[in-house]
Order: sequence, then structure tokens, then C-alpha cells
Amino acid sequence: MEHILTAESLGKQYGHFKALDGFSIHVPKGSIYGFVGKNGAGKTTLIRLICGLQEPTSGSYTLYGAKNTDPGIAKCRRRMGAVVETPSIYLDMTAEDNLKEQYRIIGLPSFDDIPELLRLVGLENTGKKKAKNFSLGMKQRLGIAIALAGSPDFLILDEPVNGLDPQGIIEMRELILKLNRERQITFLISSHILDELSRLATHYGFIDSGHMVKEMSAKELDSACRKCIRVQVSDIRALTRVLDEMGIEYNIFSDTMADIFAKVNISKLTLALAEQECDVISLTEREESLESFYVNLIGGGNRNE
Amino acid sequence: MSRLLCADFAKLKKNRFFWLCIIGMIGFGLFMKIMEYITMQQYSGETPSLDSMLSVYSMVIGFLTAAFVSLFVGTEYSDGTIRNKIIIGHSRASIYFSNLITCSAAGFFMCLAYLLPALAAGIPLCGIKTADFQYLAGMVLCSFIMTLAFTSLCTLVGMLCQNKAMTAVITILSVCLLFVASVYISAKLNEPETYPEISTFADGGSVIDARDVPNPGYVRGTQRQIYEFLDEFLPTGQSVILTRGDQDAFFLLMSAYSAGITAVAAGIGIFIFRKRDIK
Repeated sequence: MEHILTAESLGKQYGHFKALDGFSIHVPKGSIYGFVGKNGAGKTTLIRLICGLQEPTSGSYTLYGAKNTDPGIAKCRRRMGAVVETPSIYLDMTAEDNLKEQYRIIGLPSFDDIPELLRLVGLENTGKKKAKNFSLGMKQRLGIAIALAGSPDFLILDEPVNGLDPQGIIEMRELILKLNRERQITFLISSHILDELSRLATHYGFIDSGHMVKEMSAKELDSACRKCIRVQVSDIRALTRVLDEMGIEYNIFSDTMADIFAKVNISKLTLALAEQECDVISLTEREESLESFYVNLIGGGNRNE
Repeated sequence: MSRLLCADFAKLKKNRFFWLCIIGMIGFGLFMKIMEYITMQQYSGETPSLDSMLSVYSMVIGFLTAAFVSLFVGTEYSDGTIRNKIIIGHSRASIYFSNLITCSAAGFFMCLAYLLPALAAGIPLCGIKTADFQYLAGMVLCSFIMTLAFTSLCTLVGMLCQNKAMTAVITILSVCLLFVASVYISAKLNEPETYPEISTFADGGSVIDARDVPNPGYVRGTQRQIYEFLDEFLPTGQSVILTRGDQDAFFLLMSAYSAGITAVAAGIGIFIFRKRDIK
């Protein structure tokens, strides 16, 4: 699998505080990589490092195969765009003037693409309105338009839906999906709004206290979070025998409990277990959400540690 | 860097504060020259020389550049747009230089905005023959390089301090304090070495016995050398000298000091800015 961004043993320290410690990440080309972590986990720090705003204290990362210490990394950065924390826009300029300014910074000779870019992000009718009078959603979209100037194939968005209203969130999601599908742009999206991320991401990375806890594809996450029936029985061996005979997928995680990943006929299962002198103590249908998966992965109790 | 300069100059063209300064300087230049002519005509009937009052802008240019640079560079941080330049792959040195060049150009335009209208009003009123062109050339060169030193120092603060309001406070307050210090130094240096002491008056009030006594406020020795150095070295000291219209000022020496300040401030600024974490 071709990766646009990889990092190994990356570290960033602010004074005595380690924002990133032995961090690793692998962002596949063409993916929408959901970068999940609670506030202060190190998401924005990683983004700042990748964007060249800060230098790592230890370790390294590669962007399009170029190491961060390689002088050619600056050239590679021309192929990426980013919205870090707040959108980077001149507030006393119009949307069009902001894009013109970015085009000059990039060195694009013509402003012909600007109306199309404004249309793409839904800001074509803003006219002479200055960015300081835009809504938060409009500012976010203008930030994305600026990041899209120069046609990058890798876009980094730091908390893109933070503070947006439901309509704004939907518009942002649709824009990201459209850009990923139509322009094959790879996205790295950091967020702690997991429900929203689960509607977009093709890959996930879970970060906690500066470490990458787990990286997985959306497929792997779906199977980890899929619907199941949690059953508690008196004899777990009897249960495995019955389930094996029935050809049903299951997962045992204690002496008395197991998850069954299929729609089973409860009466048939109970009768079969009764024949093996095994009692069914409880049966519950459950579906693990991304949130509960994340909480289980990170551990919800250490918030203030 | 040409792309950054192109972007920064386009930004300068749209900067309201810059145009406000330009308009202010045009009005200031016209006002000073015309008022000087009217006053001289009223009180002595003489015509002032073309070059007098032409250097008065040196007094305000430090304050204007401090305010302008803190707003121009500070906006890059407050709006976060400096990130766009770094993300796209521009080197930190070129970002710094581009800002320095643009702010310096803005400073020169402000100087010209005073000089050109003042000359335009002065030539028909005072006549071109009244001008001391050697002084004029030295003064203009010195004031331009002094403006460059002001800009370089303010850019150093602006690029290293990521808070726009803090940058404005530091730069404007520093210029104010240095200006007050320079005025004090200049006043001390201009103290007369002696003053006449009158001890006896005749009945009619005429002076019978008077003699020169040393002025205790006169600065001597090493202290005087330090004061003289600071007067010529500090950009605010230079602005006091230029505003005074001192014909015997060491323009070349002062220009060399300003050039040195500009180079050292830019060097320090780029060195620190290259290693600076940007949020």
C-alpha cells in the first residue's frame, strides 16, 4: 500500500511536556484518515509538525517519501494543503481577494480557477463581503478553498466541523467526500466528534497521550463494532460445541460470556444448550459504537490524569 | 521570494492603515512647508530656504513604522496566514525578508509622501536656489536608512512575537521610550559649557560685574562620549538630529550605524525565526 505520510518514533516536547512520544502513523494514498483523540492528545501537534510549523524533537516523518530533514520536503509540501485549528484567512479581505493572495503566494500565474474554486466550496455568491463578516462555516469553507489552491493531493483538516451547525456539518462532510471521490484527494482529518468521523473515514488512527494506540481500516473497525448477541451461560464449552455445530461465528471473552455474530434462533439455541445441560443466564443484543470502541481502546477513566 | 513579495505588495496596496499614513504624511508635509513660509513672511518678511522643515518627518516616521509594522506583520499571526506561506513550502528566511522588504518599502513611501508634497509646495514658495543640495542629499539618505533601521527593529519584534497587540505595545512603547531618552541626551549635549554669572548691578540696572562660570549641567569626558555615540547611533537620536535640521551632522556615520542596526536586527530575527515554533 502506498503511503502519503508515515512517521516513526516521532517526538515533540514543549519544556518538560511530551506532546508526542514515540508516535507513528501511516496514511494511505486516497484515504480519508480519521485521526481520533481527545483534547490535548497530540493531534494538532502532529499536524503542526507535518506542516513545517514546528520541528520534531526526536524521530522523523516522511511526506511523499521525502524525510522531514530532506531539503526537498519543502517541494513536497507544495502538493499539500492544510487548515490548522482556525482557518488561515485575511479577515479584512473578500473570499476572492483571499484566494488571489494565496494564488500569488503559490505563484499561480492566472486567477481563472478562482470562481470554480469558490463554487466548489459554495462561496460563489459572497461578492464584496469581507471574511470577518462570514459565518464560522463560511470561514471554514474559505479556509478549505485556500488549502485547495494549487490543486493539492493531500489535505489536512484539523477539527473541520468544530463549532459548525448541523447544516454546516453536512455541507462540510459532502465537500470532503466530493473532493475525495472526484479529485482523489487524500485527507487527514483530526477530530474528537467520532460519530461525524465514522461517516467519512476509510482509515482510523487513535491517539492518546502522544502515542498512536491503534491504526485500522474502516472495515476492521466495522467488524470490531458490528452487531452481536452477548450471551452468558453456565458452561462455556457446551456453548462452543453448539455454536460450532451450528456454524456460527463467535468470540469468547470470559469463562461464561461470549459474543455471537449472527442472527440466531434463540429457541433453537436454548434447546440445544439445554440438551448439553447448559443454562442460558442472560442474552443481550449489542452494537458497539465508534465512541464505545474508542473509550474501550483509550480507557475513559484517565481524563484528568 | 518573488512570489512572496508579489503577495505582500498586493496586501500592502489594500492596507488601509498604510494609505492613512500616506495621506497623513502628505498633509503634514504641505502643512509644515506652507505654514513655515506664512510665519516667516508675517514676522520677518524673509523667505525660508527650501530645505528647512523638510526633515521634520524624521520625528514621526519611527512611530508610524512601529504602528504600521506591528499591524502588517501582526495580522499574519492574528489571522494565521503566515501558516499558509510555510505550509506551501516557502522558507522562513524568505518569509522574513519579504516582510522586511515590504515594510521598508512602506516606510520609504511614507517618507516620500512627506518630502515630495513639501518640495512641491516649497519650490514655488521658496525657490529652488535657496536649497543646500548637499545637505538635502545627506539628510534624505540618512533619514531613509534610519527608517530602514526602525523597520528592521520593528520587524524583528513583529516576527518573533506571535501576539499582534503585544507587538504593537512593545514597538510603539520602545520607540516612545527611546525617543524620550534621545531628546534628553540631545538636551544634555546642547547644554552650554559655561554661562554668564552676574554679581553686581549699578543703580540704573546696568551690569557692572559679570563673568563666565562653568555649567554644572554640561556633560564632560567619557559620559559625553557615550552620549554623543548614543545620539548618533540610536535611530531615535538620529531622528532628533535630523528634525533639528543640524547642517553639521555626520550623515554618513549615522547612515552606517543605521545600516549596521538593520543588518544585525535582520540577522538575529532570521536566526530565531527559523527555529521558532509557530502555532
